[in-house]
Amino acid sequence: MGDDYPTLFRSEQMSLMQFLIPTEVAHDTVAELGELGNVQFKDLNPAVNPFQRSFVGEIRRTEEMARRVRFFESQIQKEKDVVPIRPLYDSASLVTVGPSAAHNIDELDVTLAAHETRLVQMNDSYKTLSERTRELVEARHVLRETAVFFEKAETQQTDIRTSFDDSSAPLLQHDDREQQYLSTVQFDLEFVAGTIDRTRISTFERVLWRVLRGNLYMNHTDITEPFIDPATGAETRKNVFIIFAHGDALLAKIRKVAESMGATLYPIDANADKRSDSLREVTARLEDLETVLYNTGVNRRSELVRIGEHLARWQDVVRKEKAIYETMNLFNYDVRRKTLVAEGWVPTRDLTMIHMALRHATEESGTSVVPILQELRTSKTPPTFTRTNKFTEGFQTIMDAYGIATYQEVNPGLFAIVTFPFLFAVMFGDIGHGLIILFAALYMIFQEKKWARQELDEIVGQFFYGRYIILLMGMFSVYTGLMYNDIFSKSLHIWHSGWDFLEAGSNGVSYALSNGHIYPFGVDPAWHGADNGLVFTNSYKMKMSVVLGVIHMTFALCLQLPNHIKFKRPLDIYANFIPQMIFLQSIFGYLVVCILYKWSIDWSTRDTEPPSLLNMLIAMILSPGKVDATAQLYRGQGFIQVVLLLLAVVCVPWMLCMKPYFQWKEMQKIQGQGYVGLGHRNGGPRESTDEVLEIEEEGNGRVIVEEMEEEHEQHDFSEVVIHQIIHTIEFCLGCISHTASYLRLWALSLAHAQLSEVLWSMTIEKFLGLSGIFGTIALVMVVVFWFSATVFILCIMEGLSAFLHALRLHWVEANSKHYQGEGYSFAPLSFAKLDEKE
Amino acid sequence: MEGLFFNVDTGFLEGIVRGYKSGTLTQSHYASLAQCETLEDFKTQLSATDYGNFLANEPSPLSTATIADKATQTLVDQFNFIRSNSVEPLSKFLDYITYGYMIDNVVLLITGTLHERDTHELLERCHPLGIFDTMPALCVATNVEELYQSVLVETPLAPYFRDCLSAADLDDMNIEIIRNTVYKAYLEDFYNYVSTIGSTTADVMHNILAFEADRRTINITINSFDTELTKEQRAKLFPAIGRLFPTGNNALAKADDIDQVRQVCENVSEYRSFFDNSASAQTNGDLGDFGVAAQLEDRFFRMEVHLNKLAFLQQFQYGVFYSYVKLKEQEIRNITWIAECIAQDARDRIHDFIPIF
Repeated sequence: MGDDYPTLFRSEQMSLMQFLIPTEVAHDTVAELGELGNVQFKDLNPAVNPFQRSFVGEIRRTEEMARRVRFFESQIQKEKDVVPIRPLYDSASLVTVGPSAAHNIDELDVTLAAHETRLVQMNDSYKTLSERTRELVEARHVLRETAVFFEKAETQQTDIRTSFDDSSAPLLQHDDREQQYLSTVQFDLEFVAGTIDRTRISTFERVLWRVLRGNLYMNHTDITEPFIDPATGAETRKNVFIIFAHGDALLAKIRKVAESMGATLYPIDANADKRSDSLREVTARLEDLETVLYNTGVNRRSELVRIGEHLARWQDVVRKEKAIYETMNLFNYDVRRKTLVAEGWVPTRDLTMIHMALRHATEESGTSVVPILQELRTSKTPPTFTRTNKFTEGFQTIMDAYGIATYQEVNPGLFAIVTFPFLFAVMFGDIGHGLIILFAALYMIFQEKKWARQELDEIVGQFFYGRYIILLMGMFSVYTGLMYNDIFSKSLHIWHSGWDFLEAGSNGVSYALSNGHIYPFGVDPAWHGADNGLVFTNSYKMKMSVVLGVIHMTFALCLQLPNHIKFKRPLDIYANFIPQMIFLQSIFGYLVVCILYKWSIDWSTRDTEPPSLLNMLIAMILSPGKVDATAQLYRGQGFIQVVLLLLAVVCVPWMLCMKPYFQWKEMQKIQGQGYVGLGHRNGGPRESTDEVLEIEEEGNGRVIVEEMEEEHEQHDFSEVVIHQIIHTIEFCLGCISHTASYLRLWALSLAHAQLSEVLWSMTIEKFLGLSGIFGTIALVMVVVFWFSATVFILCIMEGLSAFLHALRLHWVEANSKHYQGEGYSFAPLSFAKLDEKE
Repeated sequence: MEGLFFNVDTGFLEGIVRGYKSGTLTQSHYASLAQCETLEDFKTQLSATDYGNFLANEPSPLSTATIADKATQTLVDQFNFIRSNSVEPLSKFLDYITYGYMIDNVVLLITGTLHERDTHELLERCHPLGIFDTMPALCVATNVEELYQSVLVETPLAPYFRDCLSAADLDDMNIEIIRNTVYKAYLEDFYNYVSTIGSTTADVMHNILAFEADRRTINITINSFDTELTKEQRAKLFPAIGRLFPTGNNALAKADDIDQVRQVCENVSEYRSFFDNSASAQTNGDLGDFGVAAQLEDRFFRMEVHLNKLAFLQQFQYGVFYSYVKLKEQEIRNITWIAECIAQDARDRIHDFIPIF
């Protein structure tokens, strides 16, 4: 593999680099590297508590700034009318690197603090003002409602009195009656009025009733408009209540209960004139307050608009600053505390870019001290970094979801670009459905620029992320659809059919005769609707899926080879790859050959019946050497099968024993030279002397923190044996079950074809014959129904199911043949990714 | 058999609770919390735990009360999440947990009103798990009868109060008696209730509740020395459950000093250690009864944590919900303690918390 061009075949070569950064340019360097997004820094002081690290103060400061920015953001979001937030690319930039950086950040800190205090002040005054407004509004409501209530009560009272008058008139004197009448106008009942939260009104009523033992008369009405809390923006709805009771003790109790339940009480006079006076007063004060409130609101809003101008920039700066200092916390000081020492993984290819970035950073910061970069030798496994673009990203993600490839291992993500959509399409073969998803994918791709910038919801976002997978799935489905000759379960007549249907015989059955044509591409449309059509496609698709499966597995098995060669494991080639290949080919490769051979023979001219291949395979294993004469495929079949079976049987002990044996021999050899045991115990000191030597040679040329869990592989022999036994059993059984597993290609494609046929025949077909205006209307409606069912059931639901099965075939059947997937992914410090995460 | 269908209704919630439980602070968390210099450090340190950014939007300087409040709020949020996702009988069980807090709140309100504190201030100090609708109205009551009639009759606490109805005026002594009578009724009721919801739950909960009852019994006994409380009255306050019941309770009812309490506790092997060092401390002389009680309290907490931890060893039972709440409460006490020590610069006592895991 050439190192000059990025490839998907293997992950990038990584180097562990050491950066010696002078303290004064550290910040700018990290900022530059963060923009580049190419370095994964290692934590050099894992033992240190997060709050004991060097840059905690700075982090705390940025966190405080971030809190302020969040506060602004929430304030802006809460505002009813939308306050415009100027997008990042449009807002004034803020220099955070170079000599003026510290000054700028200080200034930003001050600005933020000033804005915050101003905003908090405004909020407070706004809150007090609106609180007072609210009280006045409530008071007005209470006044109005009680007025209504009193008026009503008065008229009722009069009614009662009059009726009372009538019955008792003769007994009472006239002036008494007069007096009584007067006293009813003057209410002598005491009452409490106020407002309370609507949700609490029933509890309130109940509690009061119980406390006062029913000695009260309560009335309440809804206030129609809601009250809005200025700080939280939450709406509350309230009720006006008025309670009549007798006696000071009771009234005091009512007041106490009301206050403890969060009600607000308002002094209301029983006298109607005084009430209207206070109503006038309240209204007047309310008007004054509202103007003040309006002005405060306008001021506050203009402040928010000013903040909105810069908010995006501030967010960006604060986020970056925090990331920078968090990264710098991973660094180590050298002895003189003049320079910071950092270590990180870098793609070897990008070293020049990093060098340039470092130089650029020094120039920016205006000093002449260039950070020093040097490569370290290490035994640690580097992270796996696969460069993807928007096209390959989706496919790579599918494979990464199974497991991140081991460093420099063959990456199945590359091959998935073709095999994944292909296996999907085998199950989803229909031109029409393929076109639908193809157009959906094309639409998403054309909307790419627009959609990439906006927030998508979860489901749409997922489809959008896989748009190129869907594109390829659509194209491949059209292809397989052409192969199966299916378009919405109908067939296309592009060329001459190879069969002519004869006139129907007396029993109503018509037979097709071959007319010498051979349909050049795909399945002959004459099969469509034929009585034995299903039998034909069944047998065809079943065999096809076995053929495809064996090819796919063989290919996946072959991918072991570049791995073994790359990592210099010749033993694995002889002890694993070759016997596995022979085992697979001698049984299932042979089956594929038989399938192809059987297809190539014109059985109508033979005198024997076509043999069942399944029975043949079973007989090959259960009764080796014997082949039934009636079920013979070719001459000498028995002998060849015995040979193949023997080959397969030999492979099992070969796989089982060879690798452990050679490893054992290797160990014996080392032991013979007297290294084992000592090798382990001697390992430490010897390495350290090396280290000393190297430090003498090239200064800080070693990794500063050698990880505690140095991966000295324990060459425990029993472990090797057990591992190999498991591996062998897994492979042999896997071959059988995985081949059977590929039959899902057959099952799903058949199910898909049948389902679409059922959908067609149950809906459109029944309405095609109808004529007249109703027939047309019905047809249109049915077509609409059919189309939506096609999209939702056949394209989306069936598509997801086929996707899932294709995924499984890749993860389980193919990956188990070669993929280790024990790596960890490259997670560089990158400001671009920081934005994505938010 | 109950294990067979347990997961249908409760499997999800049990999973959630066990997940929450694995988020409780460990020894190493406490160790690094105790190293903090300021409350700001404390906040940074806590943000690395399951508490996450619960303090992120608090402007500095932080106060210990804010930390405790916010931490309690996380517990309450978790509890409410579980409560709103639960069905019978778990929901009833969870309600039972809140009754304990309700009793505390009721007593707090009555005491506060008695001392003429501001009602709103009192309401803020109530435990959020024990808040109920009509609670604010408690402050108008002047005697138990009225209290019961006006407010408590419609709460689930009503049956517990029925036993202590008397027209007597509320004073400190009476309130204390009420609290203990009500709590006794509550514990007994809870004890009976857990017996009805499956044997595993009953096994686990009986242990915890029995200890809770014994703790109350011992506390009542020690606190009633040298007070006007007669021995008959004292005996009435003891819950009729627990490992000391009935012999131990009878002996405790007659006890006159702390040595007799210790003798009673000797009979239960797990309780034997409660008084071990306290006896020697007493011989040293300077601590006195108060010191013993304080130490005892500490040991009770340790025992409680231990029992609650045991609840997590059993699956298919509701005890984990109770235990989680109690453990989390202890954790919040620990956090508050450490924060308080940092704030008041009392570093020598910073390790006096009760570690959970």
